Amino acid sequence: MILKKKDLFLIAFFLCLAAVLLLCFNKNAGTGIAVVERNGTELYRFDLGKQKGTQVIDLGGEYHVKLLVEPGAISFQHSDCHDQICVRTGKLSKPGQAAVCLPAKISVRITEGQKTIDAFTG
Amino acid sequence: MYKEKKLAYLLFAVLIVVIAVLACILIKSNQKPVSYECTNYAMGTYVQQTVYGKNSQQAAKAAAQKIGELENLISWRRSDSDITKLNQASGSDWVSIDPKTAAILQKSLDVADKSYGAFDPTILPVSSLWDFGGENQHLPSKKEIQKYLKYVNYKELRVNTQESTASLKRHYMAVDLGAVGKGAACDEAVAAYEQAGADSGIIAVGGSIGVFGTKKDGTPWNIAVRDPHSSETQSASLGAIDLRSGYVSTSGTYEKYFTKNGVTYHHLLNPKTGYPENNSLVSVTVVCDNGALSDALSTACFVLGREKGAELLKKYNAGGIFITTDDKIYLTKNMENTFTLSDRKYSLVKSGV
Repeated sequence: MILKKKDLFLIAFFLCLAAVLLLCFNKNAGTGIAVVERNGTELYRFDLGKQKGTQVIDLGGEYHVKLLVEPGAISFQHSDCHDQICVRTGKLSKPGQAAVCLPAKISVRITEGQKTIDAFTG
Repeated sequence: MYKEKKLAYLLFAVLIVVIAVLACILIKSNQKPVSYECTNYAMGTYVQQTVYGKNSQQAAKAAAQKIGELENLISWRRSDSDITKLNQASGSDWVSIDPKTAAILQKSLDVADKSYGAFDPTILPVSSLWDFGGENQHLPSKKEIQKYLKYVNYKELRVNTQESTASLKRHYMAVDLGAVGKGAACDEAVAAYEQAGADSGIIAVGGSIGVFGTKKDGTPWNIAVRDPHSSETQSASLGAIDLRSGYVSTSGTYEKYFTKNGVTYHHLLNPKTGYPENNSLVSVTVVCDNGALSDALSTACFVLGREKGAELLKKYNAGGIFITTDDKIYLTKNMENTFTLSDRKYSLVKSGV
């Protein structure tokens, strides 16, 4: 009935697996909010967790910036800027990620999903 | 024999993993509150509701119905409303009104009195001349304004809440509860949520908001304050209020306005001059424990200006956010821990009042 080292390792492995799965489930709950700003002023806020279907947001301006909002992700679809860094950044989906189109002064950042706006006054 | 034991241990480990995952799924599904969201049109604006709990749909529908009923009582545009009856009987007799109408009129008179007439529910003779947002929106002549301004006087509106009656002392006087109605509608909705047994809920009637109960995750309701520079169709927020309970209303120059000969005229009229109040404020947001009061107070504070407005709020234990034309945000002391600025274009001034 005495457990061998090998068996203990196996049990520990499964316990770890359970812990990892637990963490994964908890992480999935916090889908981010995409905040779109021009020159520091907030233009849009998308709850990526609630986003159904794809949506192209035409921000216009000198660089004709277009954003692509999808379920769980947002990206710069188009910009006439020279360096194209914003477009090449690709899809943003996790809190903390950000992409900026410096020439157009447009930034997109993902914040924690917990602070969604419940209502708007004004 | 040893192999059997080993298999048993492994099966036990797998069982732990399965139980853990199932437990997670169960917890998550229990955390997801039953909610019902709906949008309809009332009080000349959109009404948005999100209600949580088993009776969420029933609660939201009851709230929408109550708001409709309230509009039928207090809108001067409805031919058979209490306010129309009162306006038509001006200068003659007392009229019987619903206790709800009487209570709202009484609250309006209280704010009118404490704001020394900066808010006046008898503004209709002048506000109808401007007709902001209406088909006949225009700049009235000085003569017209002077002619009708003398009929704007809240002291000549008398309300008896015990008998549910009201009267307007002089002919041509008329009541407009447009600056109270949206907040009063929030009061109705919150009462309906409670009555229907909902867990929690939030209602927005235009720029007036009411919350009921606490959010399932225990965090405060997050109320975004509109950036006055943003357009109506693409509203951006300049910050947010953490609201545990109560009501929020905003009065802003950007809500209804028109431009004539290069001059912009907004709908927030000073009852003493009959003209839009221009005192370097763009908007005032008020947080209070009553919807109708928060709505009336936001209008009163806008007309009074920042300092006198903050003094008025003290009388109601209410909080205020005053936004000026030069992008400064003044907070009353009780708002300092609940408002968070997110737009760096604005600068925050804690007035300490």
